[in-house]
Amino acid sequence: MRKIVHIDMDAFYASVEQRDEPSLRGKPVVVAWRGARSVVCAASYEARKFGVRSAMPALRAARLCPQAVFVPPDFSRYRAVSKQVREIFHKHTDLVEPLSLDEAYLDVTTPKTDYASATAIAKAIRAEIFETTQLTASAGIAPNKFLAKIASDWRKPNGLFVIKPEQAETFLAPLDVAKIPGVGKVMNAKLEALGVHTCSDLRAFDLRELERRFGRYGLRLRELSLGIDERRVNPDQSVQSISSEDTFAHDVLLSEIEPMIRELAAKTWSATRKTDRIGRTVVLKLKTADFHILTRSHTPPVPPQTEEAFVALAVGLRERVDLPPRTRYRLVGVGLSNFIDADESLAQSELF
Amino acid sequence: MRFSIQREVLLKPLQQVVGVVERRQTLPVLANLLVVATPQQVSFTGTDLEVEMSATTQADQIEAGEITIPARKLFDICRALPDGSKIEFKLNGDRVEVKSGRSRFTLATLPASEFPVIENIDLVERVSLPEATLKGLMDRTAFAMAQQDVRYYLNGLLLDLREHALRSVATDGHRLAVVETTLTAGVAAQRQILIPRKGVLELQGLFEAGDGTVELEFGRAHLRVKRGDVTFTSKLIDGRFPDYEAVVPIGADKEVRVAREALRGALQRAAILSNEKYRGVKLEVSPNKLRIIAHNPEQEEAIEEIEAKTGVAELGVGFNVNYLLDALNALGGEEVLMCLRDGNSSCLLRAPESEQARHVIMPLRL
Repeated sequence: MRKIVHIDMDAFYASVEQRDEPSLRGKPVVVAWRGARSVVCAASYEARKFGVRSAMPALRAARLCPQAVFVPPDFSRYRAVSKQVREIFHKHTDLVEPLSLDEAYLDVTTPKTDYASATAIAKAIRAEIFETTQLTASAGIAPNKFLAKIASDWRKPNGLFVIKPEQAETFLAPLDVAKIPGVGKVMNAKLEALGVHTCSDLRAFDLRELERRFGRYGLRLRELSLGIDERRVNPDQSVQSISSEDTFAHDVLLSEIEPMIRELAAKTWSATRKTDRIGRTVVLKLKTADFHILTRSHTPPVPPQTEEAFVALAVGLRERVDLPPRTRYRLVGVGLSNFIDADESLAQSELF
Repeated sequence: MRFSIQREVLLKPLQQVVGVVERRQTLPVLANLLVVATPQQVSFTGTDLEVEMSATTQADQIEAGEITIPARKLFDICRALPDGSKIEFKLNGDRVEVKSGRSRFTLATLPASEFPVIENIDLVERVSLPEATLKGLMDRTAFAMAQQDVRYYLNGLLLDLREHALRSVATDGHRLAVVETTLTAGVAAQRQILIPRKGVLELQGLFEAGDGTVELEFGRAHLRVKRGDVTFTSKLIDGRFPDYEAVVPIGADKEVRVAREALRGALQRAAILSNEKYRGVKLEVSPNKLRIIAHNPEQEEAIEEIEAKTGVAELGVGFNVNYLLDALNALGGEEVLMCLRDGNSSCLLRAPESEQARHVIMPLRL
């Protein structure tokens, strides 16, 4: 049986800002760029009380919480803190898989330190993080990644929660399916329509029907509802791809998709700012109303260097979708892949 | 409609037109070839709405008529029939029967009236050129065209018709290729037309190096090229090509003259250890010497040194090695002249005594 720990920094960017600027402490802080199209990168717990959430348009956040202090993100500072935190992880295990600057999975089945249990390691890590950075983190301890992630969210902020292998089934049974990573608004609505509200409903639902409706993802949902997740902690931490995707409330035509591509491209671009690596290939993903997935990608000789250039490439990929113009789409995704280290990147000068 | 034809006679025109047909289409009829039989001949036309290719051939026992037939299937069937087969075509209702020996195929059709043909191109200028000349112009520039660039006007080739010259120009924004040929007969109006990438590739496939003549018809929004029994028509890119003459460097006075083959070999070897993605090599010029240095992320290194006729004391500049090799291949000739200025400026490559072909490459900041 594996022992997986998921560590999630609490309101990370906002907490760093509050730590470094005492006047922000106790106040609703929203980390976001200024601008009509910008989205919230992080919100302090004070701001979350007003309903402000990450990835929400900044304008909406300002409406929900007019007294919020808006701070532009400073990723170099967040990266520095993230590095300190990762060093703490690596004292305990080499099997560390960072998901982003503020989140990581650790496999502590055979740790480098001699604590008695995974829970003891998680406690030690939280204490060390606080000591080094004056920031709090939440920890989830479980036999796999899926459960560990749910566990870290369970006592957030500044909490710790353990799901023991023998507790997994009972713990999951009443859990809302919306809590399953990957189940978004649209999927949740579909499941609700089928009368599936909790993991135990999911277990009771006919498996073949689940597969017929949702394909491989249906089978995956069933596994997760039983607490089965065999994904390994992959310590190769270099970013391979970054993307954002969204399912539409109604299936749309290709000609109506552009604003969505722009919005998702902006989101993806701001996510790429959190890594030192550079994405070379622009990917557009579409899913038709009948669940056929197509992707179009383009690797320009020089990686896109500005948000505008990236957005233009992503929008341009639409031209290469050669399905009949009447085709309707249910999902669009915009991503960057084929990442290289920044120092590999040489600047090709332009003629015009 | 009916006709019969020798397999070998049919294959060539089919091959010439079938390449235009896209594998996936927006309209069903675009998967088909338009077949028109007149008492004298049979013509086959394929289109993707942007590029249209039409080829005509002789046939026997013709009964006039017209219809459209699935392009790919027709081509695959004819290709797979044995050498020397006689193939008979006959339209029965809305099906076409293709018979040869003991083989018989019945193909679905769509009416010829549904097939979009480009009729009138609004002729503005007509130029006759030796086929080999036009082929040379295109082959020596087309490689520099952009591919799926958002600057759509770069995804094609510029034909710049001047008073006594025709220039072919292509650029992907990082390098530029310009080749010029003199026209014996002057033309009335100077004109620039932008042929889309796909049309250029089709034309390159069509042209042969023989001593034939091709006729170019410049229309308001189209180019039509007539070569023997084949007529090619392409929509033109409706966009402004960048002012290419402005980027041909004039201040590049640091000249380096080298043997083309020696440079090509040295670059090819150095390229093995250049960064796989950026293909960067550094050129270092010193009196009578050119050094080429490449590094990859594994910190492996290649150093090549060749003789050069140059008085330049010291100059270092980085380039994408593929761009250099493309230009050297296109230039031909014994020697090339590289005109440089400094580490941040472009390089002009040409033959030492001629400005007929010019290649401009922007540097990589290493």
